[in-house]
Amino acid sequence: MMDLLQQLTFLERGILAGLIIGFICPVVGAFLLVRRMTIISEGLSHITLTGIAAGVFMSQSTAFLGFINPLYTGLIFSLVGSLLVEKLRQIYKHFQELAIPIILSSGIGLSAIIISLSSSSYTEWYNYLFGSIVTVSLNDLLFILITGIVAMLLIAAFYKELLSISFDQEFASTSGISVKKMNFLFAVLIALVISMSMKVIGILLVGAMVTLPVAASMQFAKSFRQVVVGGILFGETAIIGGIMLSYFFNIATGGMVVVTGVVLMIVAVLIKQLKTNINPS
Amino acid sequence: MIEVFFQFDFLRYSLYTGLMIGFLAPILGVFLVVRRLSLMADALSHITLTGIAFSLLLGRHITMFAGLNPVYMGMAFSITGSLLIERLRHVYRYYKELAIPIILSAGIGVGVVFISLADGFNNDLFNYLFGSVVAISQSDFQVVVTLTIVVTALLFLFYKELFFLSFDEEQAVISGIPKRSLHVLFMVLVALVIGISMQIVGILLVSALMTLPVASAMKWAKGFKQMFLYAVIFGEVSIVIGLFSAFHLDLAPGGTIVMANVFLLIGSIALTRKRSL
Repeated sequence: MMDLLQQLTFLERGILAGLIIGFICPVVGAFLLVRRMTIISEGLSHITLTGIAAGVFMSQSTAFLGFINPLYTGLIFSLVGSLLVEKLRQIYKHFQELAIPIILSSGIGLSAIIISLSSSSYTEWYNYLFGSIVTVSLNDLLFILITGIVAMLLIAAFYKELLSISFDQEFASTSGISVKKMNFLFAVLIALVISMSMKVIGILLVGAMVTLPVAASMQFAKSFRQVVVGGILFGETAIIGGIMLSYFFNIATGGMVVVTGVVLMIVAVLIKQLKTNINPS
Repeated sequence: MIEVFFQFDFLRYSLYTGLMIGFLAPILGVFLVVRRLSLMADALSHITLTGIAFSLLLGRHITMFAGLNPVYMGMAFSITGSLLIERLRHVYRYYKELAIPIILSAGIGVGVVFISLADGFNNDLFNYLFGSVVAISQSDFQVVVTLTIVVTALLFLFYKELFFLSFDEEQAVISGIPKRSLHVLFMVLVALVIGISMQIVGILLVSALMTLPVASAMKWAKGFKQMFLYAVIFGEVSIVIGLFSAFHLDLAPGGTIVMANVFLLIGSIALTRKRSL
């Protein structure tokens, strides 16, 4: 398998990474959508940026920390961030929705400071912010593959519990599912998904991959499973379309992927509205 | 240390602009938080980026737009964005909270495409994203002053209606307050303040200035009016600390202002917790 991966060209690596992301993001997105927590992906992606900035800064400034891969510090920060969100929700009991803007803005604020401290050129930061398909190295691809597999295994193992807690939290907790543990699992899943996607799509755009495909598939789906399947289809289409367009027109990959996603969503909404106008039932 | 800010015109302008933002942003923020719309500021600021990118792109191809400050296009986009969010809330009737992430991510995505078409991945963009101490010119400053006066006047005029709407929407509607037009007016105000603040604080950090001081103030305040007072104090303090440290340490001012806010918030949470025990 390693040999196979090593033979890939940089473009093939990018496309493969994109396909994995296009599969997992909508799956996690569907759960988030039902739990009405899609916005948490924005908050956590912004704090991942802090982690990445810290990772890059540490590996530059001190020689013995040079081995640090920014992807891992990003993962750690987004885990910590997700725990902080839970904590803040307890502190602001009557204004729980404040937790996410607080985390989001402090994440970006801290990263702005670290970025202006570090000596990297701005272009490198733009790759992290907006994604770039040509910079996916073999190590990155392995990271994406492994985190993707871990995320899928977690979802498969806890599918029933996740589903039950998403639709009826009270029922789930009375039937013996620990809400706290499941919330933590959710947090881990989101953190994994964000840190694996950011290399290709970019930190500022990960939220879009989690939200847009599911929002599009919601227009047609009649059940949760259909939302997931439709979401994956839309996600993969957006990724492939976006990568192709960005390669031909030489535009940042993340942006093109998201724009494709937006167009798909608008088309989905329009078709749905046309349908309901033709036969209002 | 402080004298530097009065020696150079550009620093003086950004200091004064900062002080005005420190007043306006938290006041609008209080309404946003109480109406549970705090995420709206994030969505609108991200779509402002799209407008700025669009204006940069136009500026490269059409000479007429080259002289135009991208901020105006940004404001126009963010007003459009606030209307689009309302529209999306109708489309996703059962998942209304989806509207904000959709607009937020779509805004950035389209923005990135415009930027890449304009070959704009350079230092200027960084200033738009994270703010700059030297961004305010004299003509900008005049615009900032005019807008500040307009926004403050409108807030004074409609204070009672906004207050009523924030606390009891149903009764406000029954007693004849035009909810829709007030909401649009309010969103326009938010969009204007975002446009003013982003030159100093940066697009990604504007919303912090609207939510963080309010979150700290909430821990201390015992009434709605006190919340305004504390929020403005926290806002101003963070701006002053942030601007000075940004200039002297050569950091992005958006970052330092937000981190000043974060420390104020952590302090507030820690102190009030002890008090309530």
